[in-house]
Amino acid sequence: MPFDPDTGIGGTAGRFPPTRATIVAGLRGGDASERDRAIDALASLYWKPLYKHVRIRWNRGNEDAKDLVQGFFAHAIGKEALEAYDPSQASFRTWIRLLFDRYLANETKSSSRLKRGGSQRALAFDEAERELARQAVDTSLPPDEMLYREWVRSLFSIAIERLRAESSERGRQTAFEVFHAYDVDRSEGERLSYADLAERFGVPETTITNHLSAMRRRFRETALETLREATASEQEFRAEARALFGRT
Amino acid sequence: MWLSDETVGRLQQIGTEPDLAGTKYRPVRELARGGMGTVWIAHDEELDREVALKVLRPELSTPEAAARMVREAKIVAALEHPGIIPVHDVGSLRDGRVFYAMKLVRGTTLEQFRESGPTRAEALRAFVRICEAVAFAHAHGVVHRDLKPGNVMVGPFGEVLVVDWGVAKLLRDAPQTISPSPPHDEHQTRDGTVVGTPGYMAPEQERGEISLVDERSDVFALGAILRFLLGEAPAPPPLASILGRAMHAQPESRYPGASTLADDVVRFLDGLPVSAHRESHLERLARWATRHRTLLSLIAAYLMARFLVFLWIDR
Amino acid sequence: MNKPLLGLLLGGILGVFDGLTAWFTPEVRPFIIGIVIGSTFKGMIAGVAAGWFARKVHSVPAGIVFGFAVGLLLAFAVAAMPSETGEHYYFEIMLPGSVLGAVVGWATQKYGQPAAAAQAA
Repeated sequence: MPFDPDTGIGGTAGRFPPTRATIVAGLRGGDASERDRAIDALASLYWKPLYKHVRIRWNRGNEDAKDLVQGFFAHAIGKEALEAYDPSQASFRTWIRLLFDRYLANETKSSSRLKRGGSQRALAFDEAERELARQAVDTSLPPDEMLYREWVRSLFSIAIERLRAESSERGRQTAFEVFHAYDVDRSEGERLSYADLAERFGVPETTITNHLSAMRRRFRETALETLREATASEQEFRAEARALFGRT
Repeated sequence: MWLSDETVGRLQQIGTEPDLAGTKYRPVRELARGGMGTVWIAHDEELDREVALKVLRPELSTPEAAARMVREAKIVAALEHPGIIPVHDVGSLRDGRVFYAMKLVRGTTLEQFRESGPTRAEALRAFVRICEAVAFAHAHGVVHRDLKPGNVMVGPFGEVLVVDWGVAKLLRDAPQTISPSPPHDEHQTRDGTVVGTPGYMAPEQERGEISLVDERSDVFALGAILRFLLGEAPAPPPLASILGRAMHAQPESRYPGASTLADDVVRFLDGLPVSAHRESHLERLARWATRHRTLLSLIAAYLMARFLVFLWIDR
Repeated sequence: MNKPLLGLLLGGILGVFDGLTAWFTPEVRPFIIGIVIGSTFKGMIAGVAAGWFARKVHSVPAGIVFGFAVGLLLAFAVAAMPSETGEHYYFEIMLPGSVLGAVVGWATQKYGQPAAAAQAA
């Protein structure tokens, strides 16, 4: 059996063809609508981690934080900034964090003329506030680590939403609901057996296990697709995938 | 959507789950994580039984590592012995990672076996069975190189199973019953690489002198396992001598293989002199007396009877 | 050597020595020849029985119990015959006799070729 030297976590290169262009490619692209879509994708993945970052690390009020996050996506991610990005120096995620921190520093210096306007995104800041209230944030973590955890949370949320949409398109809602109940919704210490699920959904237990393994597989693939879009190079994708799914 | 830390952790765990689509296996849960692979409990849908599935870790998925896994599977599969874990199947996942399926062992490790408080004879008999399995591998030119209590499982009927042959070494001059494809040989462990577990590793292994590692390195590890099984209590002199010979710093002074070590332990169990120990006359007498204690008690009973009769008549 | 033959020889030898112990009892010393002969025959019979038993049953404890029982029975038979002095020595004969039976029972279990191996040899 031949072994492809590129065989890694995501499978052989090209096994999961990027259905969407990567964010970096979109931002670098000349087409304005393409760039808008890339910034949308970037914002959907990063706004919550960045919002929490500014609330906790920079200790800013929620109104300030909202403006800063909105402003960052509206003004700071331009073509010029992208040109300064060197994938060999830092991961895309680290670079976004540095860019954000620089933006924050500048805005703080000239807080009186905090940029308003630009395209305001519909971001659920209230939801982020509620999350902050209920989650125990470990403030002893290094900033990158905290941001990383929030980023993983964000990435998984997006992957799950995509999986939900895909499942309903393909008429596989039950399979998704089983996965959601068993792997996503189940709370700590909750005893939930396959038999319980079989009863709840009115299907045999073997169907439950089949649904679960199929959805888990799709979840993994979807999460990796989402990850691929959010990384700048194949190498970075592999490293991130390893960190995400290969850690002990 | 809010995902708790626990959910995030669970989803990460799911992500590590091997994608077994296209195989006849379905993952059940992770069992253990080793140096090279992760061992999963999987359900064999065709035969409707649970197996242990060793899957190469994703981050180690290189052609070299894949070749090593295949080699490991072949080595273990060639060792058909009741004391060596059977390999059922080898294959690759959709993402190219190699896996192999083996019997799912439902026993305890040797550590738990010792915790259960076996008698010395029970412990020694289990030890002899371990030696027999290792001797079988030696006869096929395979050195385990990482023998330790954690790599020995004990079944409910006292049967033992030597597992984790991941760092096993093929001896060049051994009968070629197992032949890994030659191109992979260069990926095998080179001198300077330390393979094994401290406390169970022979000195030559600890020094990374891979070329000196042979059956006698396993004998050292077996000695360490014997010491572990015997526990804190002081061993009788013949057993202590067996330990000393098995765990000698110089390979030449050790037992040449696992079977000679097993022979000595069996001789000890049978109350016979062991090759590792030159016994004093007193020890020999004591051993003889222990071995023939039934006869001695009968003779004593006869003498007692005669003595009683003598007293009776004297009265 | 097969087990009954071993039992015969060992029982005989032990019987000789057992009989000779009568020398320590001055009253019976004059009849020692008769005692030794009787005791030897008794030992030989018990030995053959134990050897035969050992061929059928492979168990050291069972062999010892069987030998003990046979020794006891034979000793009783001997003791039941009135001696030259007209007295019965039940206790003096039966106690050591049964223990000797047990010794032969043990030995025939432990040593001597079992029947199957003897045929093969």
